[in-house]
Amino acid sequence: MILAKLAYKSLLNRRASVFLTLFTIAISVMLLLSIERVRVDAKSSFSNTISGTDLIVGARTGDIQLLLASVFRIGHTNNGVSWQSYEYITNQRGVKWSIPISLGDSHKGQAVLGTTLDYFEHYRFAKKQNLSFNQGHPFLNINEVVLGSSVANKLGYKLGDHIVISHGMGNTSFHHHDDNPFKVVGILNPTGTPVDKTLHIPLAAIDLIHARASTKNDEHDEHDEHDEHDEHDEHDDLIGHPKQITAFLMGFKSPLYTLQIRRNINQYKQEALLGIMPTVTLKELWQMLAIVEKTLQLFSAIVVLVSLLGMLTTLLANLSQRRRELAILRSVGARPWQLFTLISIESLLTTLLGCLVGCALFYLVMYLGAGYLQSHAGISVNIAMLSYYELTLIGVIMVAGFIIGLVPATRAYFYSLSDGMSIKT
Amino acid sequence: MISLKNVTFKWHKNDKKPTLRIAELAVEKGERIFLYGPSGSGKSTLLALLTGINTATSGDVYILNQCLNTQSNTKRDAFRADHIGTIFQNFNLLPYLTPIENVILGCQFSKVRQSQALKHATTLHKEAERLLNALGLIEQYHHKNVAQLSIGQQQRVAAARAFIGNPELIIADEPTSALDANNRESFITLLFEQALHLNSTLIFVSHDESLKPLFDRSIDLTHLQEQI
Ligand SMILES: Nc1ncnc2c1ncn2[C@@H]1O[C@H](COP(=O)(O)OP(=O)(O)OP(=O)(O)O)[C@@H](O)[C@H]1O
Ligand SMILES: [Mg+2]
Repeated sequence: MILAKLAYKSLLNRRASVFLTLFTIAISVMLLLSIERVRVDAKSSFSNTISGTDLIVGARTGDIQLLLASVFRIGHTNNGVSWQSYEYITNQRGVKWSIPISLGDSHKGQAVLGTTLDYFEHYRFAKKQNLSFNQGHPFLNINEVVLGSSVANKLGYKLGDHIVISHGMGNTSFHHHDDNPFKVVGILNPTGTPVDKTLHIPLAAIDLIHARASTKNDEHDEHDEHDEHDEHDEHDDLIGHPKQITAFLMGFKSPLYTLQIRRNINQYKQEALLGIMPTVTLKELWQMLAIVEKTLQLFSAIVVLVSLLGMLTTLLANLSQRRRELAILRSVGARPWQLFTLISIESLLTTLLGCLVGCALFYLVMYLGAGYLQSHAGISVNIAMLSYYELTLIGVIMVAGFIIGLVPATRAYFYSLSDGMSIKT
Repeated sequence: MISLKNVTFKWHKNDKKPTLRIAELAVEKGERIFLYGPSGSGKSTLLALLTGINTATSGDVYILNQCLNTQSNTKRDAFRADHIGTIFQNFNLLPYLTPIENVILGCQFSKVRQSQALKHATTLHKEAERLLNALGLIEQYHHKNVAQLSIGQQQRVAAARAFIGNPELIIADEPTSALDANNRESFITLLFEQALHLNSTLIFVSHDESLKPLFDRSIDLTHLQEQI
């Protein structure tokens, strides 16, 4: 059709300014999509971190602090829960399962978590999904370790590898020779949660590491033999005799028990404990972050608005330069509504191309940034097709671009031929 | 063909003196008219009335028995596109189209012109080529950018655009102003050939009175204006 062809040729003729407009739109689309994708994925990574756990119990601190420490491995609780309290509480009526966890150590920057086999059975994330093994099986002996998927990926560990885990949060250990290495017996499937960045060892092994660390500064040669001896005794007991754990997760037979036992825990006399319901605390945490979310949304909305206003300015500026061009078209018989259509097609084409380029840029940015976000913010961004929501956003931009294009189009409609013809150059 | 009666035209409502005051002007079909007058005498203004780009402040302008000043804007636009081919003083070519595309543009917005053009050739493109060749713009320039053509070459493109699709009336506003004497005459000859071939009425405007003898009739605009 002639109008589309004219629009195309005319755009091509003004490609420098058209390109700028197109690029502004593309950038704004890219920003909008990226911000929204990260926001939505952050929210879902966030709320997908833990599910199916009714109660998390730890030493008394803030709700959010406990959640961050026990689930996100961010910060750490100064106190723990004594093993007696753990045993007492988990033997109450209505408790379906419990998972003790002991945190505080790390291996090459990845968290080390001491736990029991219940962890692999009862821990749930996302939509009540189980942990599953990519390779291998849960630990069966005290010197075995199960790796989260990104630990294995990042550090290049395979089944059967022997790795050294030492006490503390340090990245390296200076006493390799006297640390008994752990054997990798299992690697988990990716979950998109902090589990991926965790090394799981038997609870008893945590004590062992700690015992070793406290003795090794003295005469470690003698104690080496002693350790070997100890281990043999504990091989069949993965729990050992811990005095303290960091926290424990619980599932109940019915929600009624959750509330009741939580009340008991918070009033527990022997020790200052805190029981939180992770779903509630996750929501609280997210609400604290809501200001960030709102700011991000506002920011992307402003970016889009500015780019559309920029387009309007350019279109109007171009239009006054194009009055003669439009008058020429009128003089050869183009009707005012055809000029209206011509200008509309042009702004629609610009917006459409802008959106397409913006999408391409968006995927480029996601592709380049996904790894960084995963490793630095723990947000697993998914580089999937545009979601319905994102397509709606693009649709809104297209409609807004089209509506903005109607402004110059309407002006073109009302330009009189006589005026346009008077412009001599 | 053309008939003007008691026409006046003011550019602005509150102008004291009208730019144009024409008691009577009549042109027969097929006539080739030479319209002359000094610069600023209102030649281009008169042509704008004939083509319906502007409408008379008072009086009647009839073209092909249609009264232009009572027609609606849309009707007048359509009428012009269908029946009048114009070579503007400043050509009014679209700089981002090739000569061929500019010529085709002359009949793109008019069904009448389009079907007329297709009587001469199988496609509009071929007809545009034929006209450009006939007006002496050689093939190698047909697909260049109009902006890259010389003034004389642009004139030929403008002429071809005016001719495509056999308009009954051809209006040329000083199309030869940028040409040397030799080229001027050969261009006018080509113009005549086409006009004769199409049996169109031709109104040719210039202030160069030496061209007068080439035409059937010449009208002095200054003289015409004084008749009231
Ligand atoms: N768009 C316009 N608005 C107001 N006045 C105009 C306009 N165009 C022309 N005029 C005035 O109308 C008068 C006639 O101008 P016109 O262009 O018709 O002269 P012309 O005979 O074609 O001159 P030339 O030989 O230089 O082309 C001039 O005095 C001019 O100032
Ligand atoms: Mg003039």
